[in-house]
Amino acid sequence: MSTSTPNRVIAPARPASSRAGRHDDVFRRQLARLGWGLSSPALILIAAVTIFPICYAIAMSVSNVSATGNGFSLSGLTGSNYSIMVHAAQWRYALFFTVFYTVVTVAVEVAIGTAIALVLERLTVGRGWMMALLLIPWSMITVINAQLWGYIYNPTYGALDNIFSHLGLGTPVFLGTRVPAIAALMVADIWKTTPFVAIIVLAGLVMIPRDYYEAAEVDGANGWTTFWRITFPQLRPTIALAVLFRVLQAFGLFDLPFVLTSGGPGYSTQPLAILAYNAMFRDLDFGPGAAVATSTALLVVIGSLLFLKVFRSQAGSEA
Amino acid sequence: MRNRSRHGWHRVFNGVNISAFLVFLFIVIPLYWMIASAFKTPANVGASPPQYFPHPFSVKNFDVAFSQNTFGRYILNSVIVAVVATALVLVLGTLAGYALGRLPMRGKFTVLVILLMISVFPEIAVVVPLYALLRDIGWLNSYQALIIPYTAFYLPFAIWILRNYFLAIPREMEESARIDGANPLRTIWSIILPQAWPGLFTAGIFTFTACWTEFLMALSFNVANNYRTIPVGVALFGSEFTVPYGTLFAASVVAVVPIAVLVFIFRRSVVSGLTAGAVKG
Amino acid sequence: MGSSIPRFRRPAAVLFTAVGMASALTLAACGSSSSSTSPGAAGSSATSSASGSATSGNITWWASPITTSTPDPRTVLISAFEKAYPKIHVSLQSAPTDTDTNRASLITTISGGAASPDVYMGDVIWPAQFGKAGLAVPLSKYLPSSYFSGFAPGLVQGATYSSQVWGAPFFEDQGFLYYRKDLLAKEHMSVPTTWQQLESDAVTLVHKGDVKYGYVWQGASYEGLTCNFMEYLGSAGGSVLNPGLTSATVNSSAGTQALSFMRSLITSGATPGAVTTFQEAQAMSAFATGQAAFLRNWNYGWIYSNTASSPSSVVGKVGVAPLPGFSGQTLPGTSNIGGWNLYINPHSKNVAADLTFIKWMTGSDAQTILATQFAEIPTLQSVRSSAAVVAKNPVLATVPKTRLIPRPAQSPAYAKVSQAIYTNVNSVLSGATSPSAGLSSMASQINSAESSTGL
Repeated sequence: MSTSTPNRVIAPARPASSRAGRHDDVFRRQLARLGWGLSSPALILIAAVTIFPICYAIAMSVSNVSATGNGFSLSGLTGSNYSIMVHAAQWRYALFFTVFYTVVTVAVEVAIGTAIALVLERLTVGRGWMMALLLIPWSMITVINAQLWGYIYNPTYGALDNIFSHLGLGTPVFLGTRVPAIAALMVADIWKTTPFVAIIVLAGLVMIPRDYYEAAEVDGANGWTTFWRITFPQLRPTIALAVLFRVLQAFGLFDLPFVLTSGGPGYSTQPLAILAYNAMFRDLDFGPGAAVATSTALLVVIGSLLFLKVFRSQAGSEA
Repeated sequence: MRNRSRHGWHRVFNGVNISAFLVFLFIVIPLYWMIASAFKTPANVGASPPQYFPHPFSVKNFDVAFSQNTFGRYILNSVIVAVVATALVLVLGTLAGYALGRLPMRGKFTVLVILLMISVFPEIAVVVPLYALLRDIGWLNSYQALIIPYTAFYLPFAIWILRNYFLAIPREMEESARIDGANPLRTIWSIILPQAWPGLFTAGIFTFTACWTEFLMALSFNVANNYRTIPVGVALFGSEFTVPYGTLFAASVVAVVPIAVLVFIFRRSVVSGLTAGAVKG
Repeated sequence: MGSSIPRFRRPAAVLFTAVGMASALTLAACGSSSSSTSPGAAGSSATSSASGSATSGNITWWASPITTSTPDPRTVLISAFEKAYPKIHVSLQSAPTDTDTNRASLITTISGGAASPDVYMGDVIWPAQFGKAGLAVPLSKYLPSSYFSGFAPGLVQGATYSSQVWGAPFFEDQGFLYYRKDLLAKEHMSVPTTWQQLESDAVTLVHKGDVKYGYVWQGASYEGLTCNFMEYLGSAGGSVLNPGLTSATVNSSAGTQALSFMRSLITSGATPGAVTTFQEAQAMSAFATGQAAFLRNWNYGWIYSNTASSPSSVVGKVGVAPLPGFSGQTLPGTSNIGGWNLYINPHSKNVAADLTFIKWMTGSDAQTILATQFAEIPTLQSVRSSAAVVAKNPVLATVPKTRLIPRPAQSPAYAKVSQAIYTNVNSVLSGATSPSAGLSSMASQINSAESSTGL
């Protein structure tokens, strides 16, 4: 992120003499071995815990699965689970809804989160308090957050309907029809997750060297220009990281609609994760359910790879 | 302190400030609603029209949460699981993040992408095979049943975050440490970590919160009452047809206190860490 | 980034795959060996004492909270059981209150091969699904038919799939009509016995300003709406599936009458439009806070409205009656069967003790406790009609007068059938679809669920 030092390998440039060159190679190999050594505990742990379940889930998605009392029996290799999935109108809607939801909430959260970060950066007194306050919604248990908003949106004793009726706007039933339900869901999610983006952006914001700002002031730039020409480009890698991980989280959206709307009304607020959950645990269709889960993961992976390709240099990866 | 002319900044400062104040209200009002409702009498929680201020003030909801529902035990379990998993993630993640960020390893980017792919896979598909795995090892209904999977699933994100912050540290400092003869671990400890404090904080608070609020795996692996965590315990409040909002909110108020306390305790370090980063540049 | 990944040196990928495959192979081996021993174990202990006369052992009982009152009925029953069978120790595992979460947790646990819990309390609509997936033990293999004939009619049928009975009816629930007897007295109305009468009474009461809402029920897009719909459908003489469970019969004149009436409740103003988001909690709250004159709800509604701290402001003003029917059809209307059964985990290591536990819990001692101390509707016919129970509260007194209708849960695809019902009914209620379009969509979705061609 700091552009003052080039992001190159730690070894100095290859000198002319070949003996020095071989020495560098040895040194690099030592460092590489060290690298593997340092990262192996993490990698081994991750592999041991996650590879088997993921492979099993992928296997379930391509075979005929029946749940027996002794686990699952997987038989045959078949594409029928995926074919069932692709032909299901519910899946197509869930896909559209998940993508739409992700795009809208992430965009709003990044905008609001960056604004919050900008203000937090300027705060000298009370920054710690403000941060603690901000983190409270984010640290709430998602299920309770959903219940809180269910309590707010309730037509009988909810605060929002009471406010609306005082304002003469009637008593709308927020969770009763598609569009208001989707909007209500988004508001609840944005309320809870914006602090996450704000903190990430803030940490990136304070790492921008001051000389940039001073140079801009000397040139007489006003606030907005400074933001767009100086701050934002420096902030791009951080924002990209925040966007990347928010998108990953948003694609796995589950807890909030599960508790707040149960995917309803109808299927209007049913994202892919709840569709997979219902297929597996309510209908006991483990094959198609695993197909939904696997294809969702695949879509997100492809999306992330494309995203990374675009932002690779700025996300800080190196040769 | 920054020495900035107020003239050009003043307008933006106010514009941003006002909208941020509105956002502040947006954040605080539902929070207030939750806290206020936690202190209403159970009967008034469902009052229509709703009470905007609890009257009479009552702590009955807290009493119900703790006495009738062994909530204290769930808090303890959540604390143990979250603290240990977060510590593990930070230690392993720092090592791996440093290695994958600074050291010349072939196939580094492949590893990072695979890590990304792992953290992306929907939990629900993974729960059943993972359950069978844990059952075979005999780890069901224990702390490690949650600590190990949480560490494994939240490490990728932490590695990415930490790596990102490590990359921003100027190389000269590492090189001078190396020239002085420090081994890598020492370099990490005395040079890298103090500089990358914001990244550690971000990764740590993310992991802690994720462990604290995770529901699906906790529900599936730790069904025995004395190992349940808070989200699962909360799912037991009430009965088939009632949603005990008062008790839920009381439990939530109690559950957010540790996080608020942690941030408050570390706020000076966080603030100085953040501003030190600013001054240094 | 200059270099691409060398094709021949990928330590990372190799490492990952190696560890992953190694663990997968190890665990597959472990998994198959342990799972192959469990059915053997269950089988041997079952055949050795098939009559369920074991008198010692430890069993775990998985049950969600039955009521929120203290004392907890589950612990009361357990202590009474342990007094009768001192050598059997029962430990309670409290299950999530949300039925879907409860089911998901059980499915994970049992299909993962766990031996615990031994006995679990499950919904009455699970037998076909669980039976087909081998997640429960067919009780009819061990218990004689004389045992099953003691239950109220319809309950054992509901627990039957593929000619076996999979669950023992533990306590039952059904829909009742709750009404504000003070308001009816004030307007000189008698308790409505037909739906049409109830609709006009509700509209009258709203217009006179006595209440904000006339009649509230559960119209949200969830399982409870299927229960409500079945009640109207049964009163109109209709059904959802043919006896062979292969095709939908819901798109009929009875179905049209039922669904159109439900929609007309909203359009006539008898029921608020918000009912499309009401589950039990919201409808109950609306009635108990005095905002509605009529309520359709389960049996807990009586105790809830008569306990001031619920909150309820209608204590002592509530009456209960069987649900109305349609005029010109059989009266009273049908009430949908809810409630809970007891099932046995096929991996349980002590099936004989489990059977003893279940027989006691569905025997007259336990059923009387449930009815007289906790006002739950017993499943044992003799207890239902006993004088002590009938005198306990008006709900239990009404039970003998009701007509029951089950949900079409005999089909293992019931979950999808129910979803087809409640999503389409909810769509009609909110005005997004016409009743006839809703019914034909419902029928086609049910048909595709039964022929398992859909997601």
